[in-house]
This record gives sequence, structure tokens and C-alpha cells, in this order.
Amino acid sequence: MSAISVPAPAGAPAPGKPQKAGMSKGKKIGLSVFAVWLLGIVFFVAVFGFKSHKAPDVLSGVFTPTNEFKLDTWFSLGPVDFNKGVLYVLLAAVITLWVMIAAVKRLRERPGRLQVAVEMFYNLTFGMTKENLDDRLGRKYFPLIATLFVFILVTNLIGYIPLPVNSVDKFTIFGAHLPSFQIYAADTNVAFPLMLALLVFCLFTWEGLKAHHGPIGFLKSLMPGGVKGAMVPMIFGIEVLSYFLRLISLTVRLWANLLAGHMLIAFMGGELGVLVGDQWVQWLLLPIGIAIFLFEAVLIAALQAFIFSILTAIYLGSAVQSH
Amino acid sequence: MPASAHLPIAASGSFLITPNVGLMIWVLVVFLISFLILRKTVFPAIAQLLDKRANTISGEIDAAEKLRVDAEAVLAEYRERLIEARSQADEIVARARAAGDAHQKESVEQARAERERLLEQTRRDVEAETRRAIDEIRSDVAALTVMATEKVTRKVLSADDHKRLVEEALRELDFSALSGSEN
Repeated sequence: MSAISVPAPAGAPAPGKPQKAGMSKGKKIGLSVFAVWLLGIVFFVAVFGFKSHKAPDVLSGVFTPTNEFKLDTWFSLGPVDFNKGVLYVLLAAVITLWVMIAAVKRLRERPGRLQVAVEMFYNLTFGMTKENLDDRLGRKYFPLIATLFVFILVTNLIGYIPLPVNSVDKFTIFGAHLPSFQIYAADTNVAFPLMLALLVFCLFTWEGLKAHHGPIGFLKSLMPGGVKGAMVPMIFGIEVLSYFLRLISLTVRLWANLLAGHMLIAFMGGELGVLVGDQWVQWLLLPIGIAIFLFEAVLIAALQAFIFSILTAIYLGSAVQSH
Repeated sequence: MPASAHLPIAASGSFLITPNVGLMIWVLVVFLISFLILRKTVFPAIAQLLDKRANTISGEIDAAEKLRVDAEAVLAEYRERLIEARSQADEIVARARAAGDAHQKESVEQARAERERLLEQTRRDVEAETRRAIDEIRSDVAALTVMATEKVTRKVLSADDHKRLVEEALRELDFSALSGSEN
């Protein structure tokens, strides 16, 4: 992404000017990319002008940026609908299982690259389990925590590969209406994180009920120690609320991060230009789109998987302890 | 911006926050199947490998520790032997030196005794030779004296004269110079 990081020094001299001898290769490439970007803006302004040219679908409101997140039912098998969300969930499962089983089949005393990565993932999830849960619960829930991590990670990562899955906004080639390419992730639909969060919520509530010998002990365990008198009902209310908010925070954190990330990439990668009808705006924002794409794919995908799984471990661990 | 009028996110985006129940069931089923497969096949295999590796490493550390202890024991033994050998060598050297000294002393003593013996022998030989020479000289002197006296007196001396003359002559001769060489 040198195109974005380099502009500052290139501001003063004209980008087209022959470069000084002794300039590093990276700098040369950066300056060239920057020059192409600047020339592109000039080109689009020269060809299309500043006057906006909105597409008819945009003017009529048929095209909206959220359309690409709609789950268009592709086909149904009885009561079971099949749409792109399902496709992505299945893809995530297949890729997860394929990678993990392939790694396990080739396990060696001297590990290769894939095995090192898998072992790192294993040690990471094992570490977070061990830190938050006692031995018994750790043994019981480590597979769940590890699966959550790898499943969400793969779901997030395949969400950055453009695939022809946008059946709502099609494009036409030689008369054929084909689904547009888009980057979609199953967890941009609230159903995905909500289901996983519900699963985790049920499990840690169940563990809490077991550990505190029934609902009364469990409710008592929610209260922090040392609260007396009139404060009790208020604090109790807050604690119960915060307990249920875990479900929402687990869901929304993953969902909103992924949805917002994908929307930002789409907006900066050209959608904003389409909406305002200015071609040069698309070109102008493209570097930002690429930067956000890399940021999301490299950092957010793994970070959100990590946060979801470590919170699962923390909630399970705190369920069996009292305040 | 007129464009914002065509961004009916709130209006058409309600599906965004409405969970799709069908997808939720798909997620649950697919996730649980993945979970069960991973729990059954993948995680135990990785755990087994990591345990095995941990055991190997631990075994190797133990082996290395044992090797180190053994090496230290061997080193200590060698040191001990070295010290022993050194003391033995010192002892041997001391003994050899003592033997040498004794031998030298003995040799010196023997040499001295031999010298003394030879000196004594020589002295005795010289003494005997001296005595023989003196006796020879004495008889020669006596004969010469008799001859000289006969020549002077033109007579033949009787046995008594002979004897007396010899004794007189010998009395006058000093042999002390000859016998003095003995001292």
C-alpha cells in the first residue's frame, strides 16, 4: 500500500518529473503509483466533468448499498432455504475442516508451515482456555473455544474474497444476467453471531446454574459482595441487565465490526462514487478502500475471532465463580 | 446532497438487524457438526503430538542432565586419578632422588676407600723400595769403603778391621736425608 503512505514527500515536485538518481526502488514505485492516481483523477474529471451522472437504478432508489447484504433465497428444499449466507457458512465449515484435517493428517515431529500455524492456533486457544477455566471445565470446553475461534476466523477470512454471490444486483454480459462479485461474510448477517452467542450464553448460564446449585444460588452469585440495604435491588437489576447484555455485546461486536468493515470497503472501493454519480470520486477513494480492506483482512478478521473465543472462555470461567 | 435522499438505509435495511431464523439454524447445525468432527479427530491428534513432543523434549532434557552428571563424575574421577598420579610421580621422583643420593654417597665412599687403599699400597711400596735402596747403598758404601781403605793403607784388612771400618764409615754417613723422605 505504498500508494497511500507515500503521497506526502511527492506533494511538492510534479509526479511526472524525472526522478533523481539514487532514489530507492520502493520510493520510485510509490511515486509512480501516486502519479497514476493523480492522473486518474484528472482523467475522470476531464472525461466526465464534475457534473454527476447517476445511474437510473440509483436515481430510482432500486440500488441501495445494503442490497448486497440481503439474503436472497436461491432455492428451497422443503422448508430449508438456501441463500448466500448458508453458502458462506458451509464454505467456512468445509474450509475449516479441510485445513484442519489436512494439517492433522500431515502431523510430523518436525512441523511444516501449515502445522506450525495450526499448532500456534492450538496453543493460543489452549492458553486462553487454561487461563480462564479450571482443569475440568477447560478439558470440557477447550474444543468449543478452539472451534469458535477457527470457525469465526475462517468465516471472516473468506469474507474478503470476492465471489459472484450478489444475486440482488446482477450484471449483464452478452445478454446473460450474472450475479455481481462482492465480498460477503456470513457474520455480516446478525443471525450468525447471534446463534453462536446464544449457544455460548446458554452454556455459561447452564454452567452457572450447576455451579451455584440452582437458580437462587445462581442469582445470588450475580450480586457483588458487600452491597447492603437499599442498594441491593438497584445493583441486582444492573447485574442482571449486564448479564443479559453479554449476549447482545457478543453478538453486536462481531456482527457490527464485520458489517461496518464490509460496508466501508464497498463505499470506499467505489460504491460512494456510484451513489453520488461521480466517477472521479470512485477513483479518488479507491486507495482508502484498499487500505481499509487490508486493515480488515489482516487485523480485524483474526481480532474478532480472538475476542469472541476469549470472551467465551472468560464468561464460562466467571459462571462458576461467585462475586 | 440530493444523493443522500437515495440512501434509504434505515428504511430498507431493517433486514440487517432482523435475524434470519433459517440462517441461524444453518449456523447452529453446521457449527455443531464442525465442532464434533474437530473434537473427535483434530484436537486429540494435535494434543497427542504436542504431548509427545513435550515428552520427547523432557526426555531429552533428562538425558542431557544425566549425561552432564555422568560427565561430571568422569571428570571428577579423572581429576582424582590425576592427583593420585601426580603424587605417585612425586613419590617416585623423591625415591629416585634419595636412591641417587645414596648411590652417589656410596660411590664417593667407595672411591675414597679405594683411593685410601691405593695410597696405602703406594706408601708401602715406596717404603719397601726405599728400605731396599738404603740397604743396597749401605752395602755399596761398605764395599767402597773397604776398597778405598785397602788402596790407602796398601794392606789387606783383617776381618775385624773390615768390620770396624765399615761401621765407622756408616756412622759418619747420614741416611737421615733418605729416611726423611718417608715423612
